[in-house]
Amino acid sequence: MQTDEVAVLEIEGLVKHYGRVEAVRGIDLSVRRGEVFGFLGPNGAGKSTTIRCLLGLLTPTAGRISAFGLDAAQFGVALRRRIAYVPGELRLPERISGRDFVAMVGALRGGFDRRRRDLLAERLRLDLARPVRELSTGNRRKLALLVAFLSDAELLVLDEPTSGLDPLMQREFLALLREARDRGATVFLSSHLLSEVQRAADRVAMLRAGRIIAAGTVEDLRRQARQRLEVWFTEGAPQADLSLVPGLAEQRVEGRRFTATLIGPVQPLLDVLARHAVASLLIQEPDLEEAFLDLYEAAA
Amino acid sequence: MKRRPEMSLLVLGRIGLGALRRATFWWSVGLGGVVAATIAFWPAFKGASGISEAIGNLPAPIVEAFGLKDFGSPAGFLRGNLYELFVPLLYCLAGITLVNGQTAGDETSGRLELILAQPVARRAVYLARMLACVVALGAIVLVTLVVQLGMDAVVGLSIDTSLLTATVVLCGLLGLLHASLAYAIACLRPRTSFVLGIAVAAMFAGYVVNALFQLSTPLKPWRGISPWNWALAGEPLERASEPWRFAVLIALSAGLIVLGTLVVRRRDVAAA
Repeated sequence: MQTDEVAVLEIEGLVKHYGRVEAVRGIDLSVRRGEVFGFLGPNGAGKSTTIRCLLGLLTPTAGRISAFGLDAAQFGVALRRRIAYVPGELRLPERISGRDFVAMVGALRGGFDRRRRDLLAERLRLDLARPVRELSTGNRRKLALLVAFLSDAELLVLDEPTSGLDPLMQREFLALLREARDRGATVFLSSHLLSEVQRAADRVAMLRAGRIIAAGTVEDLRRQARQRLEVWFTEGAPQADLSLVPGLAEQRVEGRRFTATLIGPVQPLLDVLARHAVASLLIQEPDLEEAFLDLYEAAA
Repeated sequence: MKRRPEMSLLVLGRIGLGALRRATFWWSVGLGGVVAATIAFWPAFKGASGISEAIGNLPAPIVEAFGLKDFGSPAGFLRGNLYELFVPLLYCLAGITLVNGQTAGDETSGRLELILAQPVARRAVYLARMLACVVALGAIVLVTLVVQLGMDAVVGLSIDTSLLTATVVLCGLLGLLHASLAYAIACLRPRTSFVLGIAVAAMFAGYVVNALFQLSTPLKPWRGISPWNWALAGEPLERASEPWRFAVLIALSAGLIVLGTLVVRRRDVAAA
């Protein structure tokens, strides 16, 4: 399913203070229908606070959140009917079985299809007969995910969804995510795990201390990161020419070997290299983690 | 699929009752046990003139303050051993702890987070939980009454059933009032220690005002401000209680429940 330009979720100037603590300090973002939107940041960056404002659990100090055109402060129930949520700090009722928990949430959402429930439980390798108190952290997370995917919500809000899941289950989660997107759902994926967001998200917003420090596609953000490059020249490295290339930093010359980092377009570097005899050229593609760290350092 | 608000309340209430099943059972067993064990001693006290004479030697205000009047009579025995302090105190504690666990306890532990993220109003979630606690408290009161009546028949304690029922109900309503106070506090500020502290302090203050203010002439008129006085000062085991005693406890409880339900939407939900 392709994303379209219609915004499912819009956050404008969101501010949330807890007394003197400024948890969110002005967030603006828009999530398009059908996309997986990664909301990235370390613990305490304001991700969960933003989500809890969206769900009406917190009242924003300032700003506005709307989803499906409905104001979150005014139409909380109608909005939550179209949202499924997996909290980061997951606490479930201990004394009931997984099946009873699914039934409980189902009763509040107008009922779940039992056959689909069993199929999902099988895919997630989850024993619904066991009491919640006997489930491991990972299995509790699976239970919350099962309920979220079972609800057929138009917007899935997932806060640290793979926390506690083993790699096999993380793969299964990504498959479920793709299926949800294919049926037209939008996903708001909050995580501090770069690899997870890199694999799943179409677009990403990076948060630091309650503010968005970067937003765009994963590719956009990668391009903003340092690329590590290593060039071997057939003769000595043309240090003077290379020092004029914009964006080159951490330059080191060791005989015929030249290493540096590059931020920005690669073309000016290639123009310089074209004028010299190059034996080999290696430009490492930056991953989101490097982009994240660079942006973080820059913002700090 | 849209769900009517009253349907959500019903579903949420059922969820609340399910969570309260175990606590209700143990409170019922505990209170039933206290009542049964106490009534079992009635034959030893029945008509024992020695105890009545010993109590008669105490100052009259002390006898009244601790409900020791006519200790050898069925009404005096029940009042002194159960309905002056223990049963209403335990009803209050049951109500306060059940409500505290269902509201502030579940909220601060994060167990309400997923429920509140569903298409239900926060007010409905809290109100349903309070109503579930009312039902649970009602069940505990009913069990106590049934055990009391059963034991009365076994040991031959003869007392008017309607007076006994009215007494148990008044004690139950006193418990409901304190449970409602705990609810209103939890709706305002969901901290378990805060809720427990204020509600239990109010309970003890009410008891002290009712029981001990009569020992002081200038303080005695102030006994009337205590809910314990409203519930029990009319000697419900000996004569028919005035309807206002029931009405005021019910009205105040309802008022606190309405107040709590109105304010709960105005604050943030606590994070785990």
